[in-house]
Amino acid sequence: MSSLIWKGYLLHAEPSFTLVQSPFTHRGERVFGADSDATTLAVAAVQHRISEQSITMVTVPEGIDTQTLISSTSITVADESTFDNCEWDLLLSDEATVVLMQRGTEVALPQFDVDIPVNSKFYAAIEGAWVEEMQITNVSQGAYVSVAQYEEAAASRLGLVGQKVPGGMTWPPRQMDGEERANAEDTPLVHIGSVQSWTRLSAAGAPSEFSIRAPLLGGISTVLLRLKDGPSGVFLVVDDEEPVLSMELEMELVVRRIYAQEGIIRYGLKARAI
Amino acid sequence: MVDVAVIGAGQTKYGNHALGLKGMWAEAAERAFSSIDGDFSPSQVDEAFIGSIAFGGAQLGNTAALLTEHSAMDGVPVRRVENACASSGFAFRDAWMAIKSGEADIVVAGGIEKMNDLTPERKRYWLGVSGDTEWERLAGLTFPGTYALMARRHFHEYGSTHDDLVNISVKNHLHGSMNKLAHIQKEVSFEKASNGFMVADPLTLYDCCPTSDGASCVILAADHVVREFTDSPVWVRGSGAASDHLALHDRPSITQLRATAASSKRAYHQAGITSNDVDFAEVHDCFTIAELMATEDLGFAERGAGGQFARNEEGLLNQGSVTINPSGGLKSKGHPLGSTGTGQVVEVFKQLRSEVESNRQVRDASIGLTHNVGGSGATCAVHVFGRDRN
Repeated sequence: MSSLIWKGYLLHAEPSFTLVQSPFTHRGERVFGADSDATTLAVAAVQHRISEQSITMVTVPEGIDTQTLISSTSITVADESTFDNCEWDLLLSDEATVVLMQRGTEVALPQFDVDIPVNSKFYAAIEGAWVEEMQITNVSQGAYVSVAQYEEAAASRLGLVGQKVPGGMTWPPRQMDGEERANAEDTPLVHIGSVQSWTRLSAAGAPSEFSIRAPLLGGISTVLLRLKDGPSGVFLVVDDEEPVLSMELEMELVVRRIYAQEGIIRYGLKARAI
Repeated sequence: MVDVAVIGAGQTKYGNHALGLKGMWAEAAERAFSSIDGDFSPSQVDEAFIGSIAFGGAQLGNTAALLTEHSAMDGVPVRRVENACASSGFAFRDAWMAIKSGEADIVVAGGIEKMNDLTPERKRYWLGVSGDTEWERLAGLTFPGTYALMARRHFHEYGSTHDDLVNISVKNHLHGSMNKLAHIQKEVSFEKASNGFMVADPLTLYDCCPTSDGASCVILAADHVVREFTDSPVWVRGSGAASDHLALHDRPSITQLRATAASSKRAYHQAGITSNDVDFAEVHDCFTIAELMATEDLGFAERGAGGQFARNEEGLLNQGSVTINPSGGLKSKGHPLGSTGTGQVVEVFKQLRSEVESNRQVRDASIGLTHNVGGSGATCAVHVFGRDRN
């Protein structure tokens, strides 16, 4: 089929497999970007395969956050009772690579000629920061998004699921619309929007959830996007790219790590320039 | 229906205050009590409303009762009012309504926040606590970032510039330099304010209010008891309040605060005035862009002309069409979140009684306005005050 840049990653797709790889390298080896991991690559792989053909179920190895994959793609993850009959398997490689393959086929790994070297000091600092953030005792000061609150809104946050309401589409979902309890049909929105405003927060001005990594990143950027389907939303810009932001710039939304606390990574949609 | 007047008002100096919650509140209350011209006893208070977001995190529950206990108001029905930075603006409105209802004759409204007793890391406690946490915090936003989004959009839609914001900062520092109760009593040059540390592009340090401790206390009275306490009451001519979407992204426009526009419309209507009648306004300038937009939303400038209003120094003390933030505003006077709303009333009370420092007295002031905003504009309370009852 084809090789291309997909959601900020390198992607090669054949009828029997989809391979997604990080574009970044460190000392000759592929490594994850500052806010990517196996889960975000797996989401990208499944999203691409779904965009090409109808697949409904995959097996998922350890190291990929199943709930994030489900919320982001609506795919079913095989359990013990369905494992044997599942036709598609997700596999991890050591080098920041994920393969989604049809069971029983062979994968010939392609060589991409894209190679973005990562500064050793920065790479080590970011890796160390994620380890520190993942400590069970790491909890933000002040306002706080609980695990329950995070999970309740996972479908709309990761899958960009909105609601059809009289007069258009709404996102994030509302409990009531007008005078009635909102029981509107859930509708996934197109993951594309245009910049209505943006800012770059210094490390000192960022929420405490970002206090470990924001200094390393030189701050964090946020955009207000008007989504193609109508609603607006605020999103972080991906950490591993530095787009030049401007009004009406078209950006796509991709799944990345947001932050970790209490030993759990919070994933979400971030914006990257198309 | 009964009319309501402010008969006493006092506050602590804003800034890094040596006293804790109880001491700060007692200081503000004592100053309010002693500002009353006639004989007054705290035991005469029928009801009390105290605004705060988190009381410094030191005493999360039942703090209002703790504070009245330490200010000679034992036994008075009291509660905490929380609406982010508009907490005491709403506490004041609640106090006004308590008298309007006929249930109370003398009511205390106040506010307090202790913000500087935390370590630098724990001070982040205060960042972004009043937005739509579930969505905005996960997008990395605190209020500097939220207001930065508004500023950049306003620049884009209306051609306002960062220089306009700098003008606001310079003006408010000038006013605050003359206010002995202000947190930052220091003028700042245009050049310095233009080149401040970038907090949230395009907003620099000089576009942002400081983190302040402070408390303020106001005493309201029904018309039939006012003359027992003073011959110079400050009448509450109008009260308006409104709310809006909590999250910025849910609003149809981010270059105006609809809650401000709605609140001021109601307050003006009730007072029987227009924005042209206002001599001075204490405006919620948590960020300079907030003042720029407020001048539009309150009707002092046309929509989109807030930048020009600032450029022309229309808000400068006794120079322009209406003096904006003669106290120095949140930018210079300081912003102890829960205290800010009633702190604004303290300033208006003193201005209308010609009790502020003479070099920052608004000339011939007869009508003043307070504008208190919660968060990025989800809540707002506007009050109009007059020397005259009608």
